[in-house]
Amino acid sequence: MRKTCLIVIAGLLASCTVSAAPDPEMIVVCYPGGSVNVKDANGAMSAMLRVVERVGQWQANSFNSLFTSKTDECRKQMAEKNPKFAITSLGLYLELRTLHNWVPVVQPRIKGRSSERYRVVAQKGKYKNLDELKGKTLGGTVLEEQAFIGKIVFAGKYDPASFFVLKPSNQAIRALRALDKGELDAVILNEQQFGGLASLQLTTPLEAIFTSEEIPMMGVVANSAITTVEDRSRFGRALEEMCSDAEGKKLCELFGVESFVFMDVSLFEPMIKLWGEGK
Amino acid sequence: MRKIQLLSIVLIPAFLAGCAGLQRDHVRFDGLSDCPKHSATTLAAKQSQLSPSSDTQTLACALTVLRETQDQSVLRTSLGSRLSLYLAERETNQEKREKLAAEGVGFAETALAQGGDGDGAVHYYLATNLGLAIREQITLAIDNLSRLENELKRALALSPDIDDGGPLRILGALYLKAPAWPNGIGDPDKALELLERAVKEYPGHPINHLFYAQALWDEEDEALLPRIKAEFSQGEKLLAEGNWGYSKQPWIKEFEEFRREIGEARLGVPAANGTPHN
Repeated sequence: MRKTCLIVIAGLLASCTVSAAPDPEMIVVCYPGGSVNVKDANGAMSAMLRVVERVGQWQANSFNSLFTSKTDECRKQMAEKNPKFAITSLGLYLELRTLHNWVPVVQPRIKGRSSERYRVVAQKGKYKNLDELKGKTLGGTVLEEQAFIGKIVFAGKYDPASFFVLKPSNQAIRALRALDKGELDAVILNEQQFGGLASLQLTTPLEAIFTSEEIPMMGVVANSAITTVEDRSRFGRALEEMCSDAEGKKLCELFGVESFVFMDVSLFEPMIKLWGEGK
Repeated sequence: MRKIQLLSIVLIPAFLAGCAGLQRDHVRFDGLSDCPKHSATTLAAKQSQLSPSSDTQTLACALTVLRETQDQSVLRTSLGSRLSLYLAERETNQEKREKLAAEGVGFAETALAQGGDGDGAVHYYLATNLGLAIREQITLAIDNLSRLENELKRALALSPDIDDGGPLRILGALYLKAPAWPNGIGDPDKALELLERAVKEYPGHPINHLFYAQALWDEEDEALLPRIKAEFSQGEKLLAEGNWGYSKQPWIKEFEEFRREIGEARLGVPAANGTPHN
């Protein structure tokens, strides 16, 4: 999922909580593998929350946010803070959903889609498929979540850690430059990264040698044990209306989000099944 | 100058506060009746005496003269934009700071319109003022990233020496702090390259060392810690020993913020004021 979407959702989240609590309500945001500086991210989300508080007529400083790009830190913070609402990747949702009673609430819609495909790209003509990459180097930012890549993106057919020599990176552009120079054999990209390839001035043509099935974008989840149906419904409705609001529209446009939509839980059933079967 | 902060537009934001554009009305100064009688020409002749160390009244008087002049030979220079920046950097009120910086952008735009395109300083002060004017307004910031980059590239090509490697330093910081590909122009490789050049070619400026240390820190490589500490220490030493005028206090804050970010124990270098840390 786009990091910008994560942040947008983080800001919008506060507008939908039920009441302004005397103590700030913590929103935990996890963005595995992101290159975002935690200090900058927390500062930016804090600023966003202040705006949302004003727009939503909530008491200032009613909400707080905690951002991390490390999966271990995310697990720890979710356990410690036990937030009512959180923003996670799909991989973390699948891993932690039972532990924290998570139910999906809303997801972004970007260019008419609320799902994405992952691709493995290599220098054109060098490899035909994933099988030919056995024992080869694979880079990419999304490798921060290896279990998700193996179980969901590769649908359990390839275990990243044993099949490839993994070279995780927190900068997609760096991985792609390494691929361009022949220092990596392949790079795995999310939809947004793949869509941005044309803007890079690489010397060697690249091609996708693997494309995943459609995978739903994750957004906001709620802990069903400590939120009510009304909480989640009110929150979802507010998010749905956000991108048609005068100010919210600017925010949505800024990050290329057309709208926020309630998540169809059934879309996640195949993901949950794959995760459970995953090797 | 709080240049790294003016570029801290990495993510989202203090949104919505004034998305329409730069502020264009001027800050009014008090006490102008005490100003010495200068013309734009005499000011231009003495412009080397105007610096970040100049007192605020002197700069305000000078800027007032430039506001009223029609002297094209002065208007096509970077003088008005530079003085606006000096005043903006020391202004603690956000609205006034943004107005002063926006005025600096206006002076630079006038200079370009008057034929100052070949002057790297005009591009440099346009960019630094623009950064200062938009740093708290995310939509403006995002909208102006490309312009900032282009002006700094032009300044680097024409006048790399200005402000002790200012174009290298600020362009490097822009690539370090801007949203990275595919979301934006941020590029850690370019940031490292430019900031390394800044410390090598212009080792006397403390912020060159600080920004390079920040770029190295962003690599998340423990092996770089000795280098980060060395750059940080060198920058603090230069800051403590040099006469940096009104820029000194904001820069000390920049160093302190970075020290807090990475942890004093890990950094283990003395503070600029001589107080030992760790």
